Amino acid sequence: MKTLQRHILSSAVAGAFTLTGTAALAAQDDIATLRADIETLKQQVESAAEWKRPNSLIHMAGYADVDYVDPDNGPGSFASGSISPIFHYQYRDLVMVESEFEITTNELGENEFELEYLTVDLFLSDSAVLVMGKFLSPLGQFRQNLHPSWINRAPSAPAGFGHDEAAPNAEVGLQVRGGFPVGSDGIKANYAVYIGNGPALEAAGGEIEMIETPGIGADDDGNKVSGGRFGLLFPAQKLEIGLSYATGQASVRDTAMTPVFYETGRDYEYTGFDFTWRPAPFDLRGEYAKQEVGDLPGSAYAVNGGAWEAWYVQGAYRFGDGKWEVVLRLGEYDTPDDATDNEQTLVGLNYLFASNLIGKIAIERNDNPNAGFQNDDRTLVQLAYGF
Amino acid sequence: MKTKTRHFFYSMGLALLLGSGIPTVQAEETGSYPPKGDPARGARAWADNCTRCHNLREAPELRDDQWITTSFHMRVRAGLTGQETRDIITFMQMSN
Repeated sequence: MKTLQRHILSSAVAGAFTLTGTAALAAQDDIATLRADIETLKQQVESAAEWKRPNSLIHMAGYADVDYVDPDNGPGSFASGSISPIFHYQYRDLVMVESEFEITTNELGENEFELEYLTVDLFLSDSAVLVMGKFLSPLGQFRQNLHPSWINRAPSAPAGFGHDEAAPNAEVGLQVRGGFPVGSDGIKANYAVYIGNGPALEAAGGEIEMIETPGIGADDDGNKVSGGRFGLLFPAQKLEIGLSYATGQASVRDTAMTPVFYETGRDYEYTGFDFTWRPAPFDLRGEYAKQEVGDLPGSAYAVNGGAWEAWYVQGAYRFGDGKWEVVLRLGEYDTPDDATDNEQTLVGLNYLFASNLIGKIAIERNDNPNAGFQNDDRTLVQLAYGF
Repeated sequence: MKTKTRHFFYSMGLALLLGSGIPTVQAEETGSYPPKGDPARGARAWADNCTRCHNLREAPELRDDQWITTSFHMRVRAGLTGQETRDIITFMQMSN
């Protein structure tokens, strides 16, 4: 009996040890599996972090718009509008390549592709960035900062601020720009100084017809233009003012000759002033721009120079929880050619679906102040999206 | 001659600005740029500067890395200082 009890007890103890050992082994396997899973997760997290924060960053931004234009003197048309992708390639906080394209479909159904700007921006210091390449003209505000359709509060550019009018569009050259604090009241200065290939002049019928400023890719006439803009920002007053000036020489370009002929020796000057005052929900801004070319006695194309001058003032007011906006813009464009002078009034209503998605409708009245010339009034509808 | 003289002085001005700091890249850890800014100052700079031209863009509209490129783009476009840029990036990333 005693022996039997001993056997039973021995068997029970042995069984218990066996079971415990098996459980322990199973637990060790589970721990090893968990450790492997954690290690895998760590690698995945590190890999994800590397993807998000490499030394080189690539980003595509831009804007697009679609339009309907209904002139008083013709049929209304849907317009494809345009898409302007902007590419940013950045290496750490040292350098950024920026490039914007504009792709449109014209009235003949042909697609047009333009390089708006392409620059390499080298971040020199906290107050200076070196920008080289083709850049939007740093003169004034509308052309360099306000013309994108999702930013412009009207569906059109002010008179004289379109392509090749009073305000220069782009330049190919070198600029240094940046900002720095002034005093201790939060007042800040911003600046841009540049030197570039400058504009080209188109002449016909003994007159200079146009100052072309698309950003000319070669300085074949050997005359550089230099200038810049200096602005002051008063944050407490929501006020910014800017002065722009550029000087140099410009040449009449004769593309009918081979090779292209440049008639040099004519002075070129730009003067401009801009302001923004935005005590919410009001936004008031305006700009004055004047390009002037000098006379050239003995010229084979145009003895007299001329001035292309424009201004606009635009007020906007938001209401309805900031979703609705009314816009009033007044402006004038004066050129040496009476036929292209324009006095413009625009009244518009905007709806902000989102901060970067805006629907606009506006009535634009264009009057030529010179007797015998008629400019077109039109109704504009636009949907603009910034991305 | 007059134009050449003007260009000379402009060039000198550019040279002075260039001399204000020649940037270099240190062999630093990936993702260690830009240095962290002050988010409170960043909020102020965001409100003061963005609406100079366009509507305010909210932090969730872009990823953290996209706020870096976007803010550096705006540094060039709007004349932001380097410190303002770092402050705004930090504020937008913390708000994301």
